[in-house]
Amino acid sequence: MAAQTTGARTRPGRGRAPDAPPADHARRGGRGLGARSAPYLLILPACVATIALLGYPLVRNVIISFQDLNAFQLIQHTTQWTGFSNYTDQLSSSTFWHTVLRSVLFTLANVALIMAAGTAVGLLLNRLGKRMRLVLQLGLVLAWAMPVVAGTTVYQWLFDSQYGVVNWFLAKLDWHSMAGYNWFGHQFSTFSVITLMIVWQSVPFVALNLYAGLTTISAELFEAARMDGAGAWRTFGSVTFPILKPFFLGTTFLEVIWVFKAFTQVYALNAGGPEGSTETLPVYAFIEGVGNQHYGMGAAISTLTIVILLALMSYYFRIMLKQEDDL
Amino acid sequence: MGKRRAAIAVLGAAVMAVSVAACGSGGGGSSDKASGPDAFKGKTLTVWVMSGSNPPGWTKDITAAFEKQYTGAKVDIKVQQWDGIQQKLTTALSESSPPDVFEVGNTQTPYYAATGGLKDLSGDKSSLGGDAWAPSMNASAVYQGKQYAAPWYFATRVVVYNKKIWANAGITSTPKTQDDLFKDLAAIKAKGTQDAFYLPGQDWYAFDGFLLDAGADLVKDNGGGKYTADLDSPQAANAINLYKKLNSYGTAPKDKDEATPQQSDVFAKGDVGAFLGLGWEAAGAIAKNPALKNEVGYFPMPGTSATTPAKVFIGGSNLAISQNSKNPQMAEDFLKLALSDQFEGELAKEGGVIPNKTSLDSNLAGNDYGTVSATAATNGGTTPLIPTWGNVENAPNPITTLFMTPVLQGQDPAAAAKKADAEVDNRLNQKQ
Repeated sequence: MAAQTTGARTRPGRGRAPDAPPADHARRGGRGLGARSAPYLLILPACVATIALLGYPLVRNVIISFQDLNAFQLIQHTTQWTGFSNYTDQLSSSTFWHTVLRSVLFTLANVALIMAAGTAVGLLLNRLGKRMRLVLQLGLVLAWAMPVVAGTTVYQWLFDSQYGVVNWFLAKLDWHSMAGYNWFGHQFSTFSVITLMIVWQSVPFVALNLYAGLTTISAELFEAARMDGAGAWRTFGSVTFPILKPFFLGTTFLEVIWVFKAFTQVYALNAGGPEGSTETLPVYAFIEGVGNQHYGMGAAISTLTIVILLALMSYYFRIMLKQEDDL
Repeated sequence: MGKRRAAIAVLGAAVMAVSVAACGSGGGGSSDKASGPDAFKGKTLTVWVMSGSNPPGWTKDITAAFEKQYTGAKVDIKVQQWDGIQQKLTTALSESSPPDVFEVGNTQTPYYAATGGLKDLSGDKSSLGGDAWAPSMNASAVYQGKQYAAPWYFATRVVVYNKKIWANAGITSTPKTQDDLFKDLAAIKAKGTQDAFYLPGQDWYAFDGFLLDAGADLVKDNGGGKYTADLDSPQAANAINLYKKLNSYGTAPKDKDEATPQQSDVFAKGDVGAFLGLGWEAAGAIAKNPALKNEVGYFPMPGTSATTPAKVFIGGSNLAISQNSKNPQMAEDFLKLALSDQFEGELAKEGGVIPNKTSLDSNLAGNDYGTVSATAATNGGTTPLIPTWGNVENAPNPITTLFMTPVLQGQDPAAAAKKADAEVDNRLNQKQ
């Protein structure tokens, strides 16, 4: 299959370059060169990996988006430049704009649910006793660690119209019209299943991070708030949220990016069906680019996806940068 | 400094070696001379066949025969799935060492011929036995007057039924008309068999047969090589309604095709009355459930009149050699062997598929599926042999996802047909 980065939902990058040790003040001759180049040599592997695995495909993708690259050109190894026509075709197509709208709404709905549920679970983690906390953390980590495609298979079985547990359970609860319901036959129900899966796998990250953040707030603040007569909501609004604002902003920011580019869940659950009504931008790019073998067009759509995401994030960028200045 | 110069020299040599290799091998010459037995010592020929096409006996025999004829040569036959094969084949053909010989469906051959990924076999047609190929069978392998592939076999879908279940329902003879068929299926259902007929909603090859039988087609020819989609017609509505009726006699999913799950696996469970399928699907079911060995029967899909069975989609496969193959001579010799009377005949006998020469039809005599399939094949059609037809078959296929499944789920055929036609037209007019 074409080696396009398909933007699968990944866990937060752990491969951050280690902080370089402060370079020795340059001493004339001797060990100066070795000591000065040590930091650069240490981060060289990470840089090479990043450039090779992320930078090169990105650059290649942008280059391909200016070409007419279909099966013919791929097999013949010819390069056919076509300027901006891939972009103008997409920007003037109503299918594209419908997909954009769908992606934005889908992202908003998911992120809202993820942040709400994740915050609730994080607060719960803070309140639990040691043993139950361990059990809950274990459950969260297992959900988080489940490979995405294996997870979609399980969800497909759960929501199968004939043999799925969900339909069986709902029918047992006397909701008989759900007995043979085809979850993947309608847009809204398909999106519900996809949302459930994405929220289920994203909540652990938010919850565990929030818990970590909460442990940095000294207990005295909560005591003081309680003594002043603040209830649970007031405590959250006046103590927890203001202190953890950077955390909330950062996590929402990350979740928006991850959900917007989520490909695996949407594609594996029903391939953008029924009738293309659950195609989000990454799935649309894949179907158009790899499925229909119009790689140039697919590359243009994926580049536009990045541009649109950056535009949506510009508000957050401004807040994040202002935060840095405030601190 | 010396080490640096040596490193540059090695790097330079590597770059030169890669660019020389990338310049590519020229195409093989015509093979009028036979290759000597040691011509391919130590080489491996990569052959791609599609799932269901290579019966086990044929595979074993042809590998042994080729390796015996050319000492030291190896044949590596790889089986590929139909799902997503177009994308896989495009990628493979664009690489520097693609599969040497590969099978390509007759509906997709013009698409690949137009990409230039197939080797021109015009000069070798005679030595491959091409003079005896029936023109109708050869049509899909010819593009712009050149022979880009060799017709390998043809297969039509017939009704495969479970004799025990039918006998239990008191049916003594196979139906000759559609009314008879529905009467029989109702009897089977009344006896308690939930899946009297298993017909998944996205088997568009089967649907094409119904369409042809109703007097319509997937596309219409506007002359000058221009085709437009033609699902928006009363005959198409009749065809899809017939399909819908047949689908209702079982619990097959309306939004999946015949490979998800594999029809043969479902039939192998032993509680399905009948399904519409190919010989290898029946053979696969028997292999999974040996108890079915003598319980499987075949009859052609009945039409409206008792004298002629319904028109069917004539599926077929061609064998092609890739343009960039690293072993073109070896590939041609393998092709000669595969298309020889001996192995074409063996394929027909074991697989029940229709061979590319009418003279070999006698091989079908012992194969139950083969005899029925050959009867059905006298009355059929295929998809238009144009390069852009390949676009229509790219997932998601508009015929299945925009027409068949929506109608099966309750939409009005005319409304669904309009949407499907628009998408099919879009794909037929895409520039290659």
